[in-house]
Amino acid sequence: MYRATREPSGSCCLKSHLFSYFLYREMAEVHLIGQIIGATGFPDHSLFCKWGVHTGLAWKILSGVREGQTQVDIPQNHEAAYWSHPIDLHFTTKGLQGWPKLHFQVWHQDSFGRNELYGYGFCHIPTSPGVHKIDCPTWRPVGTIREQISQSFLGGGPQLKNPDVIYSGADRYRLQTVAMGNIHLQLGLILRNFDKYGIEC
Amino acid sequence: MASTSVFLLMAGGQIETAEFPEFDDIYCKYCFTYGPDWIITSGLEEGITQITKKSQDERQHFVWNFPLDVTFKSTNPYGWPQLVIHAYGIDMFGTEVVRGYGVCHVPIIPGRHKQRVPMFVPESSSQLQKFTSWILGRRPEYVDPRVVAQGEGREVTRVRSQGFVTVSFNIVMKDMKKLGYDVLPSDVASVNVPENLGATTGQD
Repeated sequence: MYRATREPSGSCCLKSHLFSYFLYREMAEVHLIGQIIGATGFPDHSLFCKWGVHTGLAWKILSGVREGQTQVDIPQNHEAAYWSHPIDLHFTTKGLQGWPKLHFQVWHQDSFGRNELYGYGFCHIPTSPGVHKIDCPTWRPVGTIREQISQSFLGGGPQLKNPDVIYSGADRYRLQTVAMGNIHLQLGLILRNFDKYGIEC
Repeated sequence: MASTSVFLLMAGGQIETAEFPEFDDIYCKYCFTYGPDWIITSGLEEGITQITKKSQDERQHFVWNFPLDVTFKSTNPYGWPQLVIHAYGIDMFGTEVVRGYGVCHVPIIPGRHKQRVPMFVPESSSQLQKFTSWILGRRPEYVDPRVVAQGEGREVTRVRSQGFVTVSFNIVMKDMKKLGYDVLPSDVASVNVPENLGATTGQD
């Protein structure tokens, strides 16, 4: 009796294992290969950038770094900051919901090494394969008049308590923000097995 | 079996020109970095250009016109090759000084591409080192230039961007489509819907 119940469950386990193996092999894959090139349009360009990837639950990162921080560029001409920060990520997915997004925080570093928030931004990873040049606009929160005056003398300024607001649309309605510069990206996309499931990108 | 799971990436091109407004007498070294699944099947992984002066007109360009020709083989696009360029110049005392590091990915789509690669040099991490490097006339350099192709550990470096190098590529690929990879938008336009997914055909 004991053996009779045990054997089928064992083979079932093997079957599901094989199934998941094939599922994994045949899952749609996305390769994101590109660079965070730099930024323009900020009040000063001694900048660095913290970046990260946000995906839905159906997505898995097989290899690559999912978040990081760029170098600090103190440019010779103060028109643009260049980071040349490489991104190389390999995703697999079971569903299209939650297509990955990149989110950014641009920080300014002054000559004393103090850091100040200059902007938040996010962009969707493009859905069509090929190379895309993307300009990601950024914004930063503004405080009350009093806080703005003290910021202009002392630096600093309000920051988001919850960084999820960078890439989510909920809970933004009470925020007061101001425009900042643009982040420039070059993103290359390679898709695999999407046409097998009838997905057109 | 093995031959069906690899694809080839052939990259021809040249390190064309550079802009370094403040310097003269510059040469470049280049090297390719790539992930663990990648192998160079033909061509040179590293190279070094001639020393050039800038043009005597208002463009002030450095021209190298230096050929790149390399073929890669891989099973996985992860670790896609990157071209690392490091430029050196000769200062007024005749010593070699680094003028910039730059990096770009080898383009991921076939065809002709032109890239303007920003060049930057690392800065001293403290005022004392800044002073000693000024006295000795030696700039800080990366021990291994390939660090500029890595995404990790970059947050500790402070750099100064001071020029551009223009690189052109001609890309040819083989067997990407066969392995199911789509690199161009037109590749996925012809969708073959498998029947077991229950999709309806054109009749109804």
